[in-house]
Amino acid sequence: MHQPSRRRFLAGAGGGAAALALAACSNAPSSSAPAGSQSGGMKNFGVGTQFKAAEPLTFTIAMLSNPAYPYNANWPFFKYLKQITNVSFNPTVIPFADYNTKIAALVNGGQAPMIIPKVYPGEEDQYVAGGAILPVSDYVHLMPNFQDKVAKWNLAGDLDQRRQSNGKYYLLPSLLQSVWQDYSLATRADILDKLSIPTPGTWTGVQSMMLAMKHAYPHSYPLSDRFNQPTPGGNFLNILSAAYGTAAGWGYQVPSNGAYWDASSSAFVFAGSMPQYKAMVTFVNEMYNQGLIDPESFTQADTIALQKLTSGKSFVISDNAQGVVTDQAALPAGQTMVKLPLPAGPLGKTLAQNASGRINSGGGVMISSKALSSPNFTAMLQFIDWLYYSDAGQLFAKWGVQGVTYTGSVADGTFKLEPDVTWAGLNPAGTKKLNATYGFSNGVFSTYTGSTQLLDSQFPPAELDFQKGMASWGLSPLAPPAPLTTTQQQSATLTGNALMSTVQSQTLQFILGKRPLSQWDQYVSELNSQGASKFVSTYNQAYSTYKQQHG
Amino acid sequence: MVSEPAVTESSPARVARQLDRSKAAPRGPAGDQVPGRRRGTRRWPPPTRAYQAFRVINAIILSLVAVAVLFPFLNVLAQSFSSERYINAGQVSLWPRGLNVTTYEHVMSDPLFWNNYRNTVFYTVTATVVAMAVTTCYAYVLSKPHLRGRKVLIGIAVFTMFFNGGIIPNYVLVSFLHMRDTVWAIALPNAINVFNLLVMKSFFENMPPELEEAAAVDGMDTYRILWRIVLPLSKAVIATMTLFYAVMFWNSWFAAFLYMDNQGLFSVTVYLRNIVDSVTSVSNGQLAAGTQVQIAANIQAVTVVLVAIPILFIYPFIQRYFVSGVTLGAVKG
Repeated sequence: MHQPSRRRFLAGAGGGAAALALAACSNAPSSSAPAGSQSGGMKNFGVGTQFKAAEPLTFTIAMLSNPAYPYNANWPFFKYLKQITNVSFNPTVIPFADYNTKIAALVNGGQAPMIIPKVYPGEEDQYVAGGAILPVSDYVHLMPNFQDKVAKWNLAGDLDQRRQSNGKYYLLPSLLQSVWQDYSLATRADILDKLSIPTPGTWTGVQSMMLAMKHAYPHSYPLSDRFNQPTPGGNFLNILSAAYGTAAGWGYQVPSNGAYWDASSSAFVFAGSMPQYKAMVTFVNEMYNQGLIDPESFTQADTIALQKLTSGKSFVISDNAQGVVTDQAALPAGQTMVKLPLPAGPLGKTLAQNASGRINSGGGVMISSKALSSPNFTAMLQFIDWLYYSDAGQLFAKWGVQGVTYTGSVADGTFKLEPDVTWAGLNPAGTKKLNATYGFSNGVFSTYTGSTQLLDSQFPPAELDFQKGMASWGLSPLAPPAPLTTTQQQSATLTGNALMSTVQSQTLQFILGKRPLSQWDQYVSELNSQGASKFVSTYNQAYSTYKQQHG
Repeated sequence: MVSEPAVTESSPARVARQLDRSKAAPRGPAGDQVPGRRRGTRRWPPPTRAYQAFRVINAIILSLVAVAVLFPFLNVLAQSFSSERYINAGQVSLWPRGLNVTTYEHVMSDPLFWNNYRNTVFYTVTATVVAMAVTTCYAYVLSKPHLRGRKVLIGIAVFTMFFNGGIIPNYVLVSFLHMRDTVWAIALPNAINVFNLLVMKSFFENMPPELEEAAAVDGMDTYRILWRIVLPLSKAVIATMTLFYAVMFWNSWFAAFLYMDNQGLFSVTVYLRNIVDSVTSVSNGQLAAGTQVQIAANIQAVTVVLVAIPILFIYPFIQRYFVSGVTLGAVKG
């Protein structure tokens, strides 16, 4: 809570410096591709066209180095990319742990590389005022694959949420054909078998599952959860609140999440005081009183939670597809972890389509404003369009080269990694790592993005079942764009931070029974005296202003 | 592993010995005492019961502190030799379980690790030399009361203790000076640590001025006085400050992270931070879903041990200067 505001402050200060630096340059950005920027690009670049630069090109790029597959200049990925597109990179290598800090320094210090990948929606906001980042929405006409996918997958509404108050967006987000749910709860399959508990599909099912576990093991707490950073009960409260139609946990980790779009009243309401929020808190409190939830569940460190699970003191834990694989390795022989289907709540099988449901998961690409003065500007956009948004580019970045790293084809479902190539639970015995050895499936170029078919090709059978189960879920309505002006943003962040910490602490008080639920109305009036209604009306005002100005 | 523990651990033994000695002293012959200690022993006041109790309690408390300090280190050491399953299950405390050394082989076979390790040694040595040269000169000058504008110069230094430009202006400055991707980006911005500067300054101030006056009368100029007279008499503070700077540069990661754009130039602490911190970043879950990172717990432990060992081994060699160096500078008549 403290951190972002300080960073924002720094970014603002630096942004000013960057703006000055920009003003000093003679070439102010104009809104169409400048003359002479055609060098190296293709004349007839369209959907399905293989991009190949007319001359060898080198682009500067921010290269995140992931400790699981540290950046290696000799990755075959770069070699093949050069062969296919005639493009190579001049990277600024940045360690994963502090990627955003360095990006902030690079952008605000005027040293940003042209291509800045791995930027998550919302993170671009802080750079807008500085002018160092390109308003890319002005140039997407040069990116046919991007436009094609936005139209085909009906993503214009999602994209609108990224627009700033000037109506432009600054981030090329990763695009998903359908909302992709990775996180759920996981439990011990052997315990389910032993106690013959059916796999639950709803939250009440989860409750009765845990009651049965508590009955069989009275000294355990069935749920002892992890992922309590940066918000307590990060995943648990997130998926639970989504099932109730409100926001909590990871779903409410920045102040703006507090303004929740209520489709029934067509207005933003304050998440922490919604009746749905009260219903959710009541439900968790009930499970807590039944002894199903460890009192430390929402505050303990991840390692402690895992230790309780592996030593048999708890059975249920928040998890995702890859987490299940690692947890399994920590369990004694004979015990197996299984990811539960996402439990449905009062909303039924409806996935909360929050701020950026289908353009959220992989992180997107920002482009430095100074790229505009490069003679290769058009070529660069075409290249980005091909690598990040064309079917061929996404396939290449994810799985590599047919006959080298994989066989078969994703399109007809015969896709298989080569037997000695391993990646995230596929071919666990393989000796060559798809990412560390080859440089494919690298988060910088290949994110969790693309068609459902491409995504499904990456899942081991168990996860594929989970994802097939998700296919029957519907989506809740999308929030409309409500971009705040800089002044609105400042006051909203101040009030919003205070509100967020009140909601977080009081939620735990209610859940753990330290504050009786009979005091709920008092809690709501406390929120209002902290400015909850003014906070929400800022967003409603921004929403109506945007609607007037940009339709 | 060797430094702090060695002192604190031996303290109960030492206390016991002294208690023993104080009892034995009046009766036993002085000959079996350590010669150097003889006078001290004789002067020792006959300990009261309360004082003895105080010493015993002291010893117990210090031993507990020693254990508290030692435990995390031994725990990491044990983890580094354990297999991952036992670490994740939380079953490793002070002794390795599922003994394995393959993790060490694995980490040590990573060329990037050794490359970054070399960088750290290079950065630490260079930056420490630069910092010592600059700090010593500045401190020496400031220690002379007849220096004009002395207060302003001290004020300038102290000002930087409370205010600094912040990350981005610093970054812009370093870029502007073309120091990015060079050792100077690490050495120069941190060359004067104001705390160290002030400690050194008061150390020099405490030096008898007659020494320097005598040298001046014999015809030495300022630089030779500093080099021939003052510095040889300041070994304690120089050793202490060298240690402070060396530890600071060895442990620092931010400058290398911020100013180096090529991972062949990173220091090993950046390497370490990347694998240790990324694991916690996973908890930021949803957003990081695309970049799941799972670095095995024992790889973390091995890297921590390998990075911490060299700087730990410096302590025992500098320790004897250490205590006198800090206190000499601190107490000013």
